Amino acid sequence: MGRLIVRRLLLIIPSLLLLSAVVFLMLGVVPGDPGRVKLGPYAPASAVAQYDHSIGYDRPILVRYGTWLGGFVTLHWGTSWNLNVPVFSLTMQRLWNSIQLALVALLIVVPLAIVLGVIAALRRDGAADRVITVSSLSLTVVPEFVSGVVITVLFVVFLKVFHYPPIPPPGADPFTRIYYLLLPAIPLMFVEIGYIARMARAGMIEALSMPYIRTATLSGLPRRRVVFGHALRNAMAPTVAVIGTQIGWLVGGLVIVETLFVYPGIGYLIYQSAIYKDFPVLEATVIVVAVIYMLSNLSADVIVALLNPRVRFGR
Amino acid sequence: MTSDTPFQREYADHLISEILGGRMTRRQLLVRASVVGLSATLVGQVLAACGSSSPSSTTSPSTAPKAGGTLKVTMPSPTVTVDPTTMYDTGSIAIAQQVAEYLIWVNNDLSLRPVLAKSWSPNSDATVWTFNLQQGVKFQDGKPFSADDVVFTMNILLNPKTVSAALASFQGILSQGGVQKVDANTVAFHLDTPFADFPYFVASTNYDCLILPTTYKAGTWQSKPVGTGPFKMTKFTPKQGATFVKNPTYWQTGKPYLDGVNVQFIDETQAEALALQSGSSDVMLTTPVQGAQALFTDANLKVLTTPSTQSRFLHMRVDTAPFTNKAVRQALAYTIDRPAVIANLFNGKAQIGNDNVFCPLYPLAPTTIPQRAQDIAKAKQLLASAGFPNGVTMNLTVEEFEEVPQYATLLQAMAKPAGINLKLNQVTVTYYYGSGKNQPWLQVPMGITDWTFRGVPSQYFLPAFTSNGVWNSSHFKNPAFDAAAKGYDTTLDEAKRRQYAATMAGILTDETPSIISYWINVNRAMKKNVNGLTSDPAEFLDLTTTYLS
Repeated sequence: MGRLIVRRLLLIIPSLLLLSAVVFLMLGVVPGDPGRVKLGPYAPASAVAQYDHSIGYDRPILVRYGTWLGGFVTLHWGTSWNLNVPVFSLTMQRLWNSIQLALVALLIVVPLAIVLGVIAALRRDGAADRVITVSSLSLTVVPEFVSGVVITVLFVVFLKVFHYPPIPPPGADPFTRIYYLLLPAIPLMFVEIGYIARMARAGMIEALSMPYIRTATLSGLPRRRVVFGHALRNAMAPTVAVIGTQIGWLVGGLVIVETLFVYPGIGYLIYQSAIYKDFPVLEATVIVVAVIYMLSNLSADVIVALLNPRVRFGR
Repeated sequence: MTSDTPFQREYADHLISEILGGRMTRRQLLVRASVVGLSATLVGQVLAACGSSSPSSTTSPSTAPKAGGTLKVTMPSPTVTVDPTTMYDTGSIAIAQQVAEYLIWVNNDLSLRPVLAKSWSPNSDATVWTFNLQQGVKFQDGKPFSADDVVFTMNILLNPKTVSAALASFQGILSQGGVQKVDANTVAFHLDTPFADFPYFVASTNYDCLILPTTYKAGTWQSKPVGTGPFKMTKFTPKQGATFVKNPTYWQTGKPYLDGVNVQFIDETQAEALALQSGSSDVMLTTPVQGAQALFTDANLKVLTTPSTQSRFLHMRVDTAPFTNKAVRQALAYTIDRPAVIANLFNGKAQIGNDNVFCPLYPLAPTTIPQRAQDIAKAKQLLASAGFPNGVTMNLTVEEFEEVPQYATLLQAMAKPAGINLKLNQVTVTYYYGSGKNQPWLQVPMGITDWTFRGVPSQYFLPAFTSNGVWNSSHFKNPAFDAAAKGYDTTLDEAKRRQYAATMAGILTDETPSIISYWINVNRAMKKNVNGLTSDPAEFLDLTTTYLS
């Protein structure tokens, strides 16, 4: 178990190196340069060249990559070219915003989807199962930029129950924050609910068909105890695995939702720094998101292992 | 205002003859009088001599302004660190304008309103302009405002190391050392060349000219904002927003009416529109028709509209086939149904263009040149005369900027019946402007370029159409045009300037180095309880007299 975790952690390093190199290379290929963005379309070319020189943009790409990498691993992430603020604090602040949004979505959708999945499994092939399966799957296949727009028009323009943009005022209490974050969380919940409910349903159906459930039922245990005491725990392994893989996306992959709601999370920061060719920010945010993806996958695997004695003890 | 100089009295006589001769309207007279700095008394005398009443005071609200309240404004986020001496984007400019002030503010009709300058006047050949400054004004850090601060600020802008957007405007007109302190409250600008419209170059239209104190350290504005303006900036979070509170020691007593301003940065038009509709904001700094259509019909909002000199120029390189023959350039111009373009792109909220830089908003814009209208038969005939009886193919480079791609698509459809096959090559804004040796907008044979607001036509024709203009993307060279441009800029004689303007406009429309189909109106959407705030042709933000009811 320990060796598995260590090996997975070590694999992250070459993956990140490769990723950072690819991002670096891609930025070198796309047209436009940082000095032009910084100084505006009407600045003389000499001034643009001078600025590019001042940030070292005129050096060979390998030299720039080496310098950047050296700074990054020693936590000297530099300063944003466009915003003149330290990259590290900017990235972390935006990451925290994204985590809050993901938490609101997860805390609501995970219990809800599991309950729905369990109900569907218990009423397998009945009307409730059909309704739950079809509707949750339908919500999941609607892209978040479509549901986001519909929800915004409905709740913001017509019903006026939510604030837009959904950015809580500074110093707001936790309940106000959650209220603000509900709006962008809804499309995220839509995307997640189908995955999680289906997994919960499948896991539950499989667990219920196990011999030990029959034994428990036949030995006269109440239905509730059989379902919640014995089946649920064993049914959760695939669901946890799915949730784990989704956390990475929820925290770092929300470029579309965050842009749609102009929410200052890390996804929107990636988008903006790409538009403005703010290289230090772009590289840092992409790496941070990649780390989150990898760690959330890893922790999902570990939790699955902990839930399953065969994985926990065996090989 | 102070008493008028002999030159100004002579100029007033000249204006009287202009207006009596029917060569100038009353509005144009007021604009011109403000540029040369005539006192209100003298303007009153001029108008009386012409049998007109004295100028009415600017739109005074029927109810007394109510003090208090915080205004919520959305605007695009500053693309880079806010520094008044180098800023160039709408967001940065609107932020800095709350804290710092100009010598002069340019009104929506392009007349000039004194701010930190009390009055100004040229010498007889317009080479030296003397500005009298307001007294008793203090910067927000407590330092009194004086002539030294004006000289200090101008020297920053004129220093090439600063890389100020203002420097391009000053080029060939004002150089380092040309700004001199006369006494504590008087500054003299010694120009490199006579320049009739010089006050516009130290006014809000040259947006980097916000006056900073001599204690200012370059690059520190965003963390230590300073100026003489109506609001103090208490918080600035990049890409998110800024907070302002009323400056209690503001020199214009009783103003501003608002207690504070909360700015939220939103970079997408649709998102800004939603913020206004949902009630999260009171004012949307600039409301383009594309992307915010819903606001124009929303009963809870009002949308103010003002004509501007913003435009898109479609340039054709006169040194590159097939555009070497002016008949080809004219032919394309004749395929355009301009009213239809304006209706399609702006819901009618734009003014028609006539392929020359003299936007109807400019006081000296000639009215004698017939408006070009769609004429497919004529376009075909022109093409045939140029040796393209079977049509011609052109490659048009289009930047992905606001309505430009849609405009190009309309042009493509309109040109087709005349046998012109427009091939569109759509590129990003960054690619289109490029840098160094690769600046596609100055190199491609044909492209559409966005031009922001310009206070005087010289700011268009000098860079874009004179032989050594730095942004002459059509590579247009015409000695007669250059001579008229020089004459227009260097004489104070209104009758002669009018002739020069007509000459230049005539040459541009006839030669058609660029097609200018429209001049965009600037819209500003706001809640109905916002008063004392107008739209602005340059998308600037002056909240000094804004109040909530």
